[in-house]
Amino acid sequence: MARAIWTGHIDLGKQHVGVKLYSAVEDRTVHFHLLHAKDRAPVQQHIVRKDTGKDVSKEEMRKAYALDRSTAVILQADDLEKLVPPESRDINLCRFVPRAAIGDQWFDRPYYLGPDKDDEDYFALAAALEQKQVFGIMRWVMRKKRYVGALSSLDGYLVLTTLRRAEQVLSFSGVEPAKTSAPLASELKLAKQLVDSISADFDPKLWHNEYHDRLCKLIAAKARGEKLEPVRKKKAAPQRDLAATLRASIAAAKEKKVA
Amino acid sequence: MPKRKSSKAPPAASAEESSPRVRPIWTGTITFGLVSIPVDLLTSVRARETAMKLVDEEGHPLGRQYFCSKEDKKLDQDDLVRGYETDDGKMVVITDEEFESVAPEMSPDIELRNFVPLEQIPPLYFSKPYFLAPTGKSSKAYNLLAATMEAAGKVGIGSFVMRGHEYLVAILSDNGVLRADTLRYADEVRTPDSIGLPKATKPSARKVSQFAKVIEEFTRKEMDPAELEDDEAEALHKLVEEKEKNADDVVKQSHLDEADAESEQDGGNVIDLMAVLRKSLSKNAVVKNATGAKPISFAEHRAKRAVNKSDTKPPAAKRPARPKSKKGARKRAKR
Repeated sequence: MARAIWTGHIDLGKQHVGVKLYSAVEDRTVHFHLLHAKDRAPVQQHIVRKDTGKDVSKEEMRKAYALDRSTAVILQADDLEKLVPPESRDINLCRFVPRAAIGDQWFDRPYYLGPDKDDEDYFALAAALEQKQVFGIMRWVMRKKRYVGALSSLDGYLVLTTLRRAEQVLSFSGVEPAKTSAPLASELKLAKQLVDSISADFDPKLWHNEYHDRLCKLIAAKARGEKLEPVRKKKAAPQRDLAATLRASIAAAKEKKVA
Repeated sequence: MPKRKSSKAPPAASAEESSPRVRPIWTGTITFGLVSIPVDLLTSVRARETAMKLVDEEGHPLGRQYFCSKEDKKLDQDDLVRGYETDDGKMVVITDEEFESVAPEMSPDIELRNFVPLEQIPPLYFSKPYFLAPTGKSSKAYNLLAATMEAAGKVGIGSFVMRGHEYLVAILSDNGVLRADTLRYADEVRTPDSIGLPKATKPSARKVSQFAKVIEEFTRKEMDPAELEDDEAEALHKLVEEKEKNADDVVKQSHLDEADAESEQDGGNVIDLMAVLRKSLSKNAVVKNATGAKPISFAEHRAKRAVNKSDTKPPAAKRPARPKSKKGARKRAKR
């Protein structure tokens, strides 16, 4: 049983739903120690002055907000204290929006919510979100930081995904390709066929981090004092003209399906 | 198998320091069928407004530096190797060549192996967004893929190796621009079961409709940019302005922009996407902040407020040097 990292309640007008927060992400990264190549001693990170290279102690370190390349305002401990938002257990609703209203770029870190005491309200809210196909935009303060997130349902459970801030996300408009590089109608038709022929439902289980597996194997082999044969590189196929390439691709995709 | 340890991952390609030019974090080819599209991968997440610099008491810029624990000697990237500590405490050194040997697809390709409807990807799979800019002479294949996916309402799924990690990725079209989202692998996403959440019970229809009513009442068509604004940044700006006005803790130092970011995650860089897109794709490209309404940098923000305060001040009083140098500062803060 994973441990909850925070407990709060979702406020929806007069309704309150108690929830516990669990990270929805499992770290599978293989982590390494940095070593000095020469003597294989572990590496330490120091904070130094850029101009003199001299070590700076923790007590001398400050955070500064840069106004330009040569001017900054230092924020002392009591300044930073002033910026800490007041503590609260409320997860406040701003509004609900249709799922399509939040683009992929906004999603940052996902958390599963679990019921805190009252199971029925929790599962009823999840069911209602599913029925309405909406995201709830929520704001809350957790561990001295402010968050904005999207509340959604997944397989009957509540998921709260933090959102990036408005200034972090960029969007485009008015992008029109130059005439000379615009695709022809015939090419579009072929490309559509190709896309259709390899369309499927999203199934993350089909994808496996093979690099991770090979890395683990390599480490295990080296630890036993063995050597591994390197895997060969693939060769890239030469590019022909677009329409011919598309036709060949469709044929190849069909063949694959039959086989 | 291997358990996690302190420092993350292999081959360090973190050389993208101060360059006025846009430097892609990855260059390669998207293949779809037998069609290949040469692209540059560019970061699309900007640093938060609240990103701060590391300085000492006098404001001298500070940075992180590796030292050998035995010799007390400064180390460069070239002096480093990566070691994996096994469960029985043995240190196994993995060389750069070995890292490469386990990544045969290092031939930089993103092969789109299938296309799926975007709305089928749950939010918890999205990891980090990037932009893809066409490289090479013709952007025809790039435009073709963008137009086709847009028309079909589909996104391409594939995987690729970057900086010693294999990433699962969704390639999608956004108004004619190709974007990439790295996705989490299925085993990186927990499930209610693996967390140990209680078995789902069927709630009463009365309760569900109660919540459905509340949802209806508070549902709007769009997001409101104001709700996504950065309160922390707002508070920080106010405090900084006040301190500046009172000449409180204002420091002048050269090369301040070279100071490392206070938080290692905050080292986001700003690239001139507009320039990239104009050059490679479209003369009419417009890149804007998600909200469109909020100015992007603090300098612009202040300038705008100053203008609002006194109408006599022409917009030219915007301290033109600032936004530019600020951008430089952010760029250099990257890694």
